[in-house]
Amino acid sequence: MPQSRPPFLDGILAALPIALGYFPIAFSFGVGATHAGLSAGEAMVFSVIIYSGAAQFLAVALVAGGAPLLVAAFTLIAMGLRHLIYGPALLKLAGQGASTRRAWVWAFGLTDEVFGAALGEMARGRARFSEPFMLGLGLGAYAAWVSGTLAGALAGGGALAGYPAVEAGLGFMLTALFLALLLSILTRAHLPVIAVAGAVTVAVTLAGSATTGILAGMIAGALSGLARRAR
Amino acid sequence: MRADVVALALMVGAATWAFRYLPLRFDLSGLAPHGWLSRLLAATGPAAIATLFVASVLPLLRGPLMDQGPLWIGCAAVLGLWVWQRSVVLATLGGALAYGIAFAGI
Repeated sequence: MPQSRPPFLDGILAALPIALGYFPIAFSFGVGATHAGLSAGEAMVFSVIIYSGAAQFLAVALVAGGAPLLVAAFTLIAMGLRHLIYGPALLKLAGQGASTRRAWVWAFGLTDEVFGAALGEMARGRARFSEPFMLGLGLGAYAAWVSGTLAGALAGGGALAGYPAVEAGLGFMLTALFLALLLSILTRAHLPVIAVAGAVTVAVTLAGSATTGILAGMIAGALSGLARRAR
Repeated sequence: MRADVVALALMVGAATWAFRYLPLRFDLSGLAPHGWLSRLLAATGPAAIATLFVASVLPLLRGPLMDQGPLWIGCAAVLGLWVWQRSVVLATLGGALAYGIAFAGI
C-alpha cells in the first residue's frame, strides 16, 4: 500500500515555487530598505512582523519620505484589506467541516501567493485542505521571505552600485508588484473604483504631494464603491 | 532601532494578521452582499492597489518620453506574464527583469 506524504510536507513542497519567487523579491526589499536608510534590523522587523511584500515596500518609501506614523499606518492597513476575501474563498473550496482551530497560526502566512497556490493545489485535486498543509505551505514561503530579506539587508544598500541595470530592475520591482496585484484582483465591477482612485491620485499628487495623493486616491476610490450601488 | 519603525510594523502586522485570520474565525458571508460595509470593503482593496500603482508610476513618467521605454516594456512584461501564467510572483520578477534589460539597452 503506497505511503502518502504527511500534509505538512505536502505543504512545504507546494511552497517551493513560491519560495523561488519570494527570495529575490525579498532580497530586493532588503537592499532597497537599507538603501533608503533603514538598518538591517529594521528591514527584518518589517519582514518578520508585517510579512506582506507590497505593504513593506511602501512602508520603506513612507518612512524614508518622513510620512507621519498614523498616515503611513492608515495607508498600509487600507491596502491590506484585500486579504479579507482569502479566508472565506479558501473555506468555500475546502467544504463543510473544514477545521480552522489553529487558523490563528497559519493565517499569518496567508499571503497573495500562498492563497493562490493553496487554491490552485486544491482546485486541481493535488492537495486537500488541512491545517498542517496550510502551515507547511505558509512556513516554506515565510522562510524564503525572511531569509531573502536578511541576505539583501546584509548585502546593504550599496551592494548594487556597480550594476546600474540590476539596481534599476530592482527599483521597478514595487511598480511591477502593484501592477501584478492589480491584475490579480481585476474584475469588471472594480473598473470604476480603479478609474476614480487613479484619477484622484494623479490630480491630488500634482496639486499637492505624493502622500496626500495616495490618501485621497484610496478614500475617493473606496467611496466610489459605495456610490456605485444605489441603482 | 527606531521606535516609530517598530510601532508601524506592529500596527500594520496586527492589522494584516487580523485581515487574514478573522474572516476564517467569524463567517463574513452573513454580511449583506449589497450592504454598505460589504461594498466599502470590496472597493477599498482595489482602490488602494490602484492608487499605489499610479503613485509608483508617476515619478517614472517625469522626464523625456525617450527615457520611459523601460517603464512601458516592464509594464508590458508584467501584463503578458500575468495573462500567460496568472502568477503574481512570476509577473513581478519578469517585469523587473524586462525593465532592467531595457534600462541597460538605453
